[in-house]
Amino acid sequence: MRTISRRDFIKLGVASAAVMAVESQLNPIAYAAEQLIEGGRSVNRTSGLPRSFLPSTCMQCPAGCGIIGYVEESHLVKIGGNTKNLSNQGTLCARGQAGINAVYDPERLLKPLKRVGARGDGRESGAWEEIEWDQAMEEVTGALTSLKSEGGSRKLVFLTEDRFEDDLGTRFTHAFGSPNAIGSLSVFGSNKAVANQITWGADGDMPDVANSKFILVFGANPLESNPQYVGMARRFINGLSSNQAKVVVFDVRLTNTSMMSNQLHYVNPGTMGLLILTMANVIMQEGLFKRSFIEKWTNITPEELAGNLTQYTPERAEAETGVEAAVIRATATEFATTEPATTFTDATLSSHISGVQNERAAMLLSIITGNIDLRGGLCLPRKFDLVEPEPAPPVPAPSALSNPPQFPLASQQVGVGTFKQIKDLVEPVGVLITHGVNPVYSNPDGGMVEDVLRDETLIPYHVAITPFFTETAEYADIILPETTYLEDYNIEVRSSPELVPMVGLRQPVIQPLKETRSFYDIATELATKVGGGMEKYFDFSSVDEYLAARISRIDGLTQIGGLDYLKQHGAWYDPRSRPDYGAYQKAGFNTPSGKIEVKSQQLAEVGAPILPTYQPLTFMGQLSERDMVLTIYDTALQTDAYTANCMWLSEILHDNPVWINPKTAEEMGIEDGDTVKLTRPSNVGEAKERSVTTTAYLTEGIHPKVVAMANGVGHTAFGRIAQAETIPYKEPPKVLRDPNTELVWWSERGIYKGKGVNPKPIVPISLDPVGGGEAWNDMVVTVAKL
Amino acid sequence: MIDQGPRDAGQARELAKARAALYRLLSRVFVAKPTEELLRGLKDKEMLDALAAYEVVFGPDFIAAAEEQQARELAVEYTRLFFGPGPHIAPFESVFVRGEGEDRPRLWGQATVEVANFYREAGLEMAEGVTPDHLSLEFEAMAALAQAEADKRVEGDAESAEQLLAMQDRFCREHLLRWVPALCREVDRSSESSFYRNMALLAQNQVRTQCGENDLIC
Repeated sequence: MRTISRRDFIKLGVASAAVMAVESQLNPIAYAAEQLIEGGRSVNRTSGLPRSFLPSTCMQCPAGCGIIGYVEESHLVKIGGNTKNLSNQGTLCARGQAGINAVYDPERLLKPLKRVGARGDGRESGAWEEIEWDQAMEEVTGALTSLKSEGGSRKLVFLTEDRFEDDLGTRFTHAFGSPNAIGSLSVFGSNKAVANQITWGADGDMPDVANSKFILVFGANPLESNPQYVGMARRFINGLSSNQAKVVVFDVRLTNTSMMSNQLHYVNPGTMGLLILTMANVIMQEGLFKRSFIEKWTNITPEELAGNLTQYTPERAEAETGVEAAVIRATATEFATTEPATTFTDATLSSHISGVQNERAAMLLSIITGNIDLRGGLCLPRKFDLVEPEPAPPVPAPSALSNPPQFPLASQQVGVGTFKQIKDLVEPVGVLITHGVNPVYSNPDGGMVEDVLRDETLIPYHVAITPFFTETAEYADIILPETTYLEDYNIEVRSSPELVPMVGLRQPVIQPLKETRSFYDIATELATKVGGGMEKYFDFSSVDEYLAARISRIDGLTQIGGLDYLKQHGAWYDPRSRPDYGAYQKAGFNTPSGKIEVKSQQLAEVGAPILPTYQPLTFMGQLSERDMVLTIYDTALQTDAYTANCMWLSEILHDNPVWINPKTAEEMGIEDGDTVKLTRPSNVGEAKERSVTTTAYLTEGIHPKVVAMANGVGHTAFGRIAQAETIPYKEPPKVLRDPNTELVWWSERGIYKGKGVNPKPIVPISLDPVGGGEAWNDMVVTVAKL
Repeated sequence: MIDQGPRDAGQARELAKARAALYRLLSRVFVAKPTEELLRGLKDKEMLDALAAYEVVFGPDFIAAAEEQQARELAVEYTRLFFGPGPHIAPFESVFVRGEGEDRPRLWGQATVEVANFYREAGLEMAEGVTPDHLSLEFEAMAALAQAEADKRVEGDAESAEQLLAMQDRFCREHLLRWVPALCREVDRSSESSFYRNMALLAQNQVRTQCGENDLIC
């Protein structure tokens, strides 16, 4: 301990001040204390208003990042990242910050609407009538009650929102007596989940990229789109910078990820599976595999596997994939000899008719090199399990909609095919509830979806629960205006990119706008009103009771306050916990054999190849010179059907010209900026729409046989910002004054007057026969200059 | 003897002013190479005496040297110490402090985020492009808080002033104290220059005083 007298200290201060008086301040680096705080409170620098802030969870994409909402006088003024969320750790992407635009969307639905015009005249004037909540609930209750009293409980179809943990929707459906709570995962990539599940007993994976030395990416794009978006991108960059990982990307397009990689190799579309299995063959032939791991932890011997892979020679692969045999050999060798290494895939590799096979092939590379669930390798997902609060409603016997019999291995429902099934009268529908989802926009063959929704004999009654007037809500009979994700509660768990399980809370950072109601309130009130036994599953004293029950088995959290802790901090993970690499060594894998099932009996039972196999796409080799493969890519700026009404996002990304390689374009006589038409050949699948028109964007950043368009723009509903104001509603449902709408400067640009076009309606429904997920990337089009 | 704190409001105000000035000086010293004026100011008799109270003592060589030459040499020393090329002392908290869940300290790691959050909470605004946990910026934040405290004391708003003082204590305890002693050791080991060794010592002593580890007596 040292002492100093106050008098001396003041003298030191005076002397310091004297020094600083003559010393011209170089670079003042902080504008300090202009509007300084009163005792630790945050204030607005310009207005001096006090700010409150609450942590919550973002829902602008599926990642579930931690956010903090800053509120001044009940007005949300800013959304920032929450450092206590282990996934994003304080970072927040553009979409997260633009959530403000979603809350204050000038065309948000603020009162229940009832259809008065013909079904589907959603945008016509006089098509809707504003009604009071009491009336709206009475009408929906009436429809549900009469369905129930006729013994038609199973005719309720509830399309849930997979972006959320929408278990309350499922609970509602099951409590009502219907199995048909159907998620949208198969639209966005269930093939990967199914492949992972049957191979190692978990419906996902988590490449430990931050600790890897070699990352082998197949068509994935973690720096722009990934289910763990910010959390994964952050770790990927850490791997590149701190850990000096080498990254090799195989793709058909120059993505942000491939720009940050050491190598990018274009692969002929649809042949990635062959490329991957060829690498596996090289590793086996060169003896670079981990014998001990294969023998102990898989259900195949190295010899049997090697023998099966000999058909995949680098020379054959070079001819079919377009990647030089030498590159394949070198990459495979480096992957197998660098420790630790991991493969990296997302839904793109498995969005093929052979998607499950492709994903299993990619897993095989990590398996044979022993890079499984170790630091820097391909890890099993870690996630907390939530509790279905007691009493839990019994799950009704499955229906052909909830569990299509042709996809026994697709544990997630095959929602992408639901409307086709309804059209084909597989199961009758009494009441359709769409919650948050927008299948008209999101699904393949959206034109067919519209036809089904329009047809009152197929869908007698359609309730849309949504904050926005979407393409799907246009076909509703009644619209219940829901709160946005920033105004209601939910527990959100995701598999954590840090490999330590974490739980997040979504809570209202502001009070619900006008007359909007949370889904919890809507579901609870409906259940109580419909009654007949279902009300007992919604007998919670408050939403808190429901939420607390959901997290009641997360021990460490309940010990420190449970829900109260989450309300204060927004997220929780055990600060002492570290990734439990190799946990399988104790318990084995969650598969029938307890091992990684390289040979899958489950696949044999559904008549699919038992070993990872390359299945050439039928159209390959038959492509005419004008035929191209269309890939619809996700960006970091728009999330499918959900964000285009956000001013800040649509200002950056509102149009989606088609990427064409200049060499290809020259052969076709197409120049940059030309209007081009993409048409599906008549013999490739069925979809109502056959062609889409856009402008050409010539770039070397794409494979010569591939064309690419961005997803997330080209709305025909969803408000004026999403549509760049080109199709104003004749009688908009109560337009709030909003200066944003007047700032849409891009509305005269391009052939769609600033809003781009949605190419998905021309994609036919085409499902992997095992995974039941859509084969988006098998889409063939001819390209013609208009 | 139990110290009862400042004698009166007047002394509390003078102490706050003194702290503001000292932190400003420290912020300046670590933000860039010294100027001749800075060196001349430090060699002022009043300053040298005041520094001695903190056991910061410059030798006769330092005092006698011509400032022009000294400034040139210290510019090289500053760059070598804090910029490189080659091994150097990166004056960022996140380089010294491992955050919760981090396997090792990382630049722009958790500490950086925590510091930025503190600034935000305190209503301090950063200029664009600065790194929140740079030593100089942390001292500047302290200076801003101390200055605000002094202003409040002038206005007679003792309650706000006490809150501002508590924030200084908190920031110092939660951040500066975590790493300034380690930085001081590094500078001591790496620098031949009495200037940076002494300034690091001054920084360390002041941080200790603010956190109550040094005794401030009447």
